Amino acid sequence: MRGRLWKLSLLGGLALSASACSWSRFDDVVEDSPVVLLTKPNSMKAGFGVTLATATNGGQTELLVGGTTNLSGAALYDVGNEQAPGTTSVDSGYCSSGSCFLSSLMAGFANASAPDQVRPLCFAVGSGTVLQQGLVVRCKDAHEYTLDMPPAAQDFLASSIAKNQPHDHPMATDRSDDPLLLASLPEKRLAWFYPPKSREPSELVLPDDAQADDSSFGRSLAVLAVDGGRVLALGVPGKSSVFLFKTEAGSQSRYIGCLGENSGLGRALAAGKVDADDNDDLVVSDDHNVHVIDGAALFELPETTSGACSFSSLPKAALISSFGCGSTSNLSGCELSEFGAAVAVGDLDGDGDGEVIVGAPKMTVRGQENAGALLVYDADQASETAFVDAKFISSAESGDELGRSIVTPHLDKRDIIAAGAPGRGKTALFYCSALLPHGAAGSRCP
Amino acid sequence: MFALVSSGFLSRRGALVLLLLALLAALATGALAQTKESPGKRLEAIRSQMDKGQGLFVAGNYAGAAEVFEAGYSAYPYSAFLFNAGVCYQKQNDVDRALAKFREYVKVDPNAPDLDKVNQRIAALEAAKATALAAAAAAAAAAAPVGDAGADADPDAGALPPPPPPPPPPLILPSGDDQNSMKSLVVIETEPDGAPLRIYQRLDANAARFVLGAATNPGWKEVVATHAPANLTLDVGHYHVVVEKFRDFNASEADMAVSPGHVHQLKANLSQGEFMAFLRVSSNVIGAHVWIDDKKKEHPLWGNAPHGELVPGGKHDVLVEAPGFEPFLSSVELQHGEQKELEVRMVRVGYGVLRIDASAPEIKVRIDEQPKGVWRSGEEPLDARFDSGSHKLTIESDGRKTFEGTIVVPRGQILPVHAKMIPKYPRGPAWTQAIIGAAFLGAAIYVGSESNRLYDQLQSDRANGSLESSDDRATKGKWFAVGADAGFAIAGVLGGLATYNFIKDPLPESSVTQGKLLEFEDPLKARPVAHLGPRKLPVKNAVAAEHGPRFEFKPSASSNGGGLFFGGRF
Repeated sequence: MRGRLWKLSLLGGLALSASACSWSRFDDVVEDSPVVLLTKPNSMKAGFGVTLATATNGGQTELLVGGTTNLSGAALYDVGNEQAPGTTSVDSGYCSSGSCFLSSLMAGFANASAPDQVRPLCFAVGSGTVLQQGLVVRCKDAHEYTLDMPPAAQDFLASSIAKNQPHDHPMATDRSDDPLLLASLPEKRLAWFYPPKSREPSELVLPDDAQADDSSFGRSLAVLAVDGGRVLALGVPGKSSVFLFKTEAGSQSRYIGCLGENSGLGRALAAGKVDADDNDDLVVSDDHNVHVIDGAALFELPETTSGACSFSSLPKAALISSFGCGSTSNLSGCELSEFGAAVAVGDLDGDGDGEVIVGAPKMTVRGQENAGALLVYDADQASETAFVDAKFISSAESGDELGRSIVTPHLDKRDIIAAGAPGRGKTALFYCSALLPHGAAGSRCP
Repeated sequence: MFALVSSGFLSRRGALVLLLLALLAALATGALAQTKESPGKRLEAIRSQMDKGQGLFVAGNYAGAAEVFEAGYSAYPYSAFLFNAGVCYQKQNDVDRALAKFREYVKVDPNAPDLDKVNQRIAALEAAKATALAAAAAAAAAAAPVGDAGADADPDAGALPPPPPPPPPPLILPSGDDQNSMKSLVVIETEPDGAPLRIYQRLDANAARFVLGAATNPGWKEVVATHAPANLTLDVGHYHVVVEKFRDFNASEADMAVSPGHVHQLKANLSQGEFMAFLRVSSNVIGAHVWIDDKKKEHPLWGNAPHGELVPGGKHDVLVEAPGFEPFLSSVELQHGEQKELEVRMVRVGYGVLRIDASAPEIKVRIDEQPKGVWRSGEEPLDARFDSGSHKLTIESDGRKTFEGTIVVPRGQILPVHAKMIPKYPRGPAWTQAIIGAAFLGAAIYVGSESNRLYDQLQSDRANGSLESSDDRATKGKWFAVGADAGFAIAGVLGGLATYNFIKDPLPESSVTQGKLLEFEDPLKARPVAHLGPRKLPVKNAVAAEHGPRFEFKPSASSNGGGLFFGGRF
């Protein structure tokens, strides 16, 4: 018996020795890893990954990572290709001067109509002064300019700059080559948009009976490209409302209704192609769930003057799906996870339909509280929405709060996920998806 | 019993006087009972000497035989030794020494029955010697120079030495002697002593049986007339011994065959009117203890083999024992006056004894894996009895190498075994290396396992798309792997050293040395000899034997006169 134990021990030792002796396997396993963390530039004053924006033009995709709203700037990264992502910033001058206040929601342009010419890969990053006061736009070529705002907002900005009391200006665009820019000024309950290829603001007008007087006004925005027109969504989560507008051409917009009733509705908004048609769909979260609403159906809504907010006004089948938090063996704490703090739509598997990515920044990951996670749903199912994947950082730490911000940069024929974990100043690129066929995503993915 | 056997050269009366003087001296000095050599042993010694000389003679070693007979005569002056020595010299053509022995024989035993024959032998030898001397003188004279013939010769020839005289012719003595020429010693006793004896020799082999009281017994010739006890030197032949009517006892008679070069003993128990038989027990084990008619050994032993004594005629149980041998028990049927020798071949017992000690303070002994005892320094060696044959012997001692081996236990003997217990080679360094090596191995296994666990986690995370490049578990796992490899390497080196140091042993193994085989101790050696002469054995219808010392003064009267008889048994 003793002899057998000795032999087993010896064999075990040899096996362990053989398996453990190649320490280089650890270099191999992390080489071309499916998750890449971006390096925060030293010039970034405060925060990293609080807000994200992406823009793609001609096969080149840029990712803008912002710091703390109103206090920090943003840094630009070349997502590049799958093999050689740019993990260091190529330009950290976005809203980095003292005359620019970083917005909580930045917006990317495939092409932006700068005062002198159309420039590719530009980002509306905040408010401030370049040559004039307005919304600050900076392009990949480091050209900066400002967009004029409605007079009330412009005056308020001047006052803010004078008093050095910055105010947030959330912004959003669609993902078309000539996107529409939607912006808001929550303090003044103002919202406006810039039609494609235009730098002239057009203010959105709510019905008189709309219940929108809340500081959360315009904290979430989304622009849906639908049949040549646009659907503009403006969230007032404090009032559990999402106000909808549409534009077809020019600077005219029409109010087409308000979604409401669900607590916290409008906490986050996102636009993207979720179902099979070519129109963007709207993704909106409330305190517990996420809802996907067909963009074409919204675009078909008639103009209205009623400020009442409900889901009942939606046409039948407009609501594609609704889903709640899901968990895996690595994830727990759905109830307090702030599921839906950020949402995004991306075609992660390259099949033409987008998946809904929902941030849960307070999710517990492998026992690490508030590490945060991203839950991926395949919402184009006709019958039922499927929770298909969960993303987290393997080195998750307590307080990361991954999923506070999410975008889906386009890479080749599919999208990847970029998510901010501002709690510990991390921003990560997730290259892989469970929906990808084996071997279809290069060496990074199984 | 009286302890002296009368010598042949002493007269009966002189012997009795000497015997009385010796007894009185013993009583006066308080030296009780025991002479240096008992009659039985003395007779046995004489017998041994006679047999030895006869054996050498038969083998043709006349010089050796003569030497033995001479020595025998020096120790035990019986005339038979003288005659036999003379025959040996005669066989060697040593006429002078032969004549000297025969002349001395005639001188010391003038009443010998063969006196005439010996005188004739002396005369023949003297004649042969004279003839030889004459021939030698004649030869010498013939060889000597005649007159002055030599003086007229060439003067130069005078320079040559005279030729040497021719050697005398060899002396050839009559040599018709063979082994039957050896004379034997015959001891005849009666109980009581003093009975008149007549001995008749059968001259004709076809003569009828001797008839006592017959007018004539053709073919028989009276050769001796004397009184018992008598020590006689007789030729080989058949004799008839007659103890004549004595006191109140009737006459007794017995036939006696005298073989060459032997010692014969006859004893007549006049109270029973019969001659006693003579039994001699010899054994391949010299000194074996012999009991007669005493199976339970309730009485002192009869003697130690070889041992012979007069015993009553009839059937006797003979028990022979010797330490280390199986007891021998047999029945012997003896006729009155018969002499019989019982040769006992004893077989050793089927077990033996190991007598074990060691060069260690304490040892534990196991035989065939069975504990057999503990021996400690300073104690007597450990005796352990086993069946004879091969056994596995295991000797253990704290701090010393265990001895394991096969040992052959002898039959009926003691095998001294001395174990040389070698101290164990110290294994402290080996244990230290093994323990440290095991610690390194354990640590290596642990960190190796941790490394593998981390690697598996990383692989799993990579598979589910969560692994990020800067995951510190990769660095941690890498260092664990390095640590595991280093630990395995160190453990391997230490394990190798420990193995070497466990195997290394410059000291020899423990061993045993077997001593010379010893015989079993004889408990009877410590016991006093219980009797000095032939014990009076129980005989049917006989007076019960008396035991213990006895002194006796008894008036005696005969036609020759009266006296006081003094006797005793010690």
